[in-house]
Amino acid sequence: MKIPARLLVFSIALIARADTFTDLAAQATAARETNNIPRAIALYQKALEIKPAWAEGWWFLGTLCYDSDQYQIGGHAFSEFVKLDEKVAMGWGFLGLCEFETGEREHALEHIRRGLEIGTGIEPAIEQVLRFHEVLLLTRLGLFDQAMPRFMPFVRRGVKNQTLVAGIGLTALRLALLPNEVPDGQQALIAAAGQTAYLWMVGDDSKTEPAFKALLDHYPKAPGVRYFYATYLLSFRPAEEAVVELKHELEVNPRSADARATIALLMVRAGASSAAFPLARQAVQDGPQSPIAQYTYGLILAGTPDLRQAIEHLEAAERLDPASIEYHMGLASAYSNAGRHEDARRERRRSIALARESDSSGPK
Amino acid sequence: MVRSSLGKAAATCLVLLPAAFAAGENPCATCHREEARSQPHTAMGIGIQLPADQTVLKEHPRLTFESNGYNYAIERKDGLSMYTVSDGVGSLALPIRYAFGVSAQTFVFEYKDHFYESLVSYYPSANGLAITMGSERLLPHNLVEAMGRETSGEEMVSCFGCHSSGGVSQGTLTLESMKPGLDCEHCHPGANTHLEAVSQGKPPAAPSKLGVMSAEDTSKFCGACHRTWDAVVRMRTWGELNVRFQPYRLANSKCFLGNDRRISCTACHNPHADLVRDEASYDRNCLACHAGTSSAGTALQKSCPVSDRKCVSCHMPKVELPGSHSVFTDHQIRIIRAGDRYPN
Repeated sequence: MKIPARLLVFSIALIARADTFTDLAAQATAARETNNIPRAIALYQKALEIKPAWAEGWWFLGTLCYDSDQYQIGGHAFSEFVKLDEKVAMGWGFLGLCEFETGEREHALEHIRRGLEIGTGIEPAIEQVLRFHEVLLLTRLGLFDQAMPRFMPFVRRGVKNQTLVAGIGLTALRLALLPNEVPDGQQALIAAAGQTAYLWMVGDDSKTEPAFKALLDHYPKAPGVRYFYATYLLSFRPAEEAVVELKHELEVNPRSADARATIALLMVRAGASSAAFPLARQAVQDGPQSPIAQYTYGLILAGTPDLRQAIEHLEAAERLDPASIEYHMGLASAYSNAGRHEDARRERRRSIALARESDSSGPK
Repeated sequence: MVRSSLGKAAATCLVLLPAAFAAGENPCATCHREEARSQPHTAMGIGIQLPADQTVLKEHPRLTFESNGYNYAIERKDGLSMYTVSDGVGSLALPIRYAFGVSAQTFVFEYKDHFYESLVSYYPSANGLAITMGSERLLPHNLVEAMGRETSGEEMVSCFGCHSSGGVSQGTLTLESMKPGLDCEHCHPGANTHLEAVSQGKPPAAPSKLGVMSAEDTSKFCGACHRTWDAVVRMRTWGELNVRFQPYRLANSKCFLGNDRRISCTACHNPHADLVRDEASYDRNCLACHAGTSSAGTALQKSCPVSDRKCVSCHMPKVELPGSHSVFTDHQIRIIRAGDRYPN
């Protein structure tokens, strides 16, 4: 709900006479409780000018603004609130939700996660909202490998709506968009990919394979489709079959760093690091923002005397996707070989922490 | 000409190799005598015991056990060990195809074209049978379930991949060419090509030298079977259950320096010989770093204020692996204080 500027001015005029903090706070509370949102917002702002350390004031100002779609002001209110009380999970959560709406995506993800990490005091329904925004942000930031498993709890609980399916579809096709940013011409593709991934996640084997076939038939040249199918094949078929699909992906999407890096990584795992080297190098050139490309190239270099460069690429992968256990482990090993023992221990501690976290966290 | 290009050692090989082949001996022993002679008798060299060579079962011709209302018996007869499970009404008997391990043994048999891992294993500490580690919580509903746990193909690839040579090729089981235990080629890829070249008088490409690997890389190499640090984290095996994964435990040690070979697996263990159980024999490895002073007279790592003998008895405690009826040496080297919990 947007509040017209004229109404806001009028509300401020009404409260001009109230000059003590106590009066303003009482009036703000009354306005909030009678659902007079514009007046309440104006009163809270006025009161907070007098007493900026009033945490409760920032909280109510933030929630009123969030509820009335005034995300810029709401975000500011919550950022002031968490400065005063950094232990309130909901403060960080709402700050992230406001930032999500204003397009400050990295900050939004960081703050939503901080709220979820604190955890206490978050109502289950709000937690689901936070987790849903978290996963949409991961996709929007290109962290597809982190995003996909985070859809699973929603699927397990039987949640199914257009936005969720679109979010899954975007992640499956590795398109860094939010569901509401999908161009008209791509909506059917995204929905079909999302529906296919949904069936796979549900474990409906009898429908998943036909859904993939239909997707491949309808969209044989759409970037991301072959890559998606390759990831499916990798879960139960020999790697060679996935490599065939990844090569098809490169035919339609020649600069897909993820596809090229995945081929290289599969070669490394098969013991063919030397042959994988040029592919991984090309992947990094095409997609310096691709964590898997940086990781694979770093991993190959870690098997050569050029540990310095290996570490640079593994650090890049870790920076791009700090939640990946594999990247921390790759980096730990490279540090260890380079004699950077404290760094290696730190990365190993992080790997264990992430592994333990993934054992116990996530929506149930 | 060949001799001059190959050098004296290779020339000797060239002369002696045909005789080794003819005698059916391991041709690698022609040059690598000590290693080739001792390694086949080690736990890694044996790996699996086939029916004719199942020494543990030969020494214990009748083993029995009872669990969850089922009676188990392993009896040796006519060169075969039969594994029988009965519930008082009926029974199921199968020959043991493979006995995995050398000391403690778990048995594998085939039933209706599938491999099963025996629900009971032989444990020396029990001097008999007990429930197989990992199957403690299984409650069998029928004779087949009581007999054992059906294994996945992937699991068998992993078992034969580490307990045999030639049992796995490109990720699939190739049991027709399987030889129990690890042969030279298993750890030294290229050994066969090297041998072939030598026997033909061609310049041999030597397999890569494992001894030059860093401690970190050695841990990864040995960890291919003993589990790498990464593999343990991926499996999320926490607590005492990971004590048997030595590369993981070792890398968690404060003194583990990945680029220092003095702390590598092979600094303490000779993979071509049996495990040495004399604790004092490892002192020289500890003292290689904790000797007090270097030749230049400067301090190396801290030396132990208590003793310079049997370091591992304090700093590498023995930990019972839950469910295994076995005790393992914890390779997370550390100073242990009273009340310390198992670190992870």
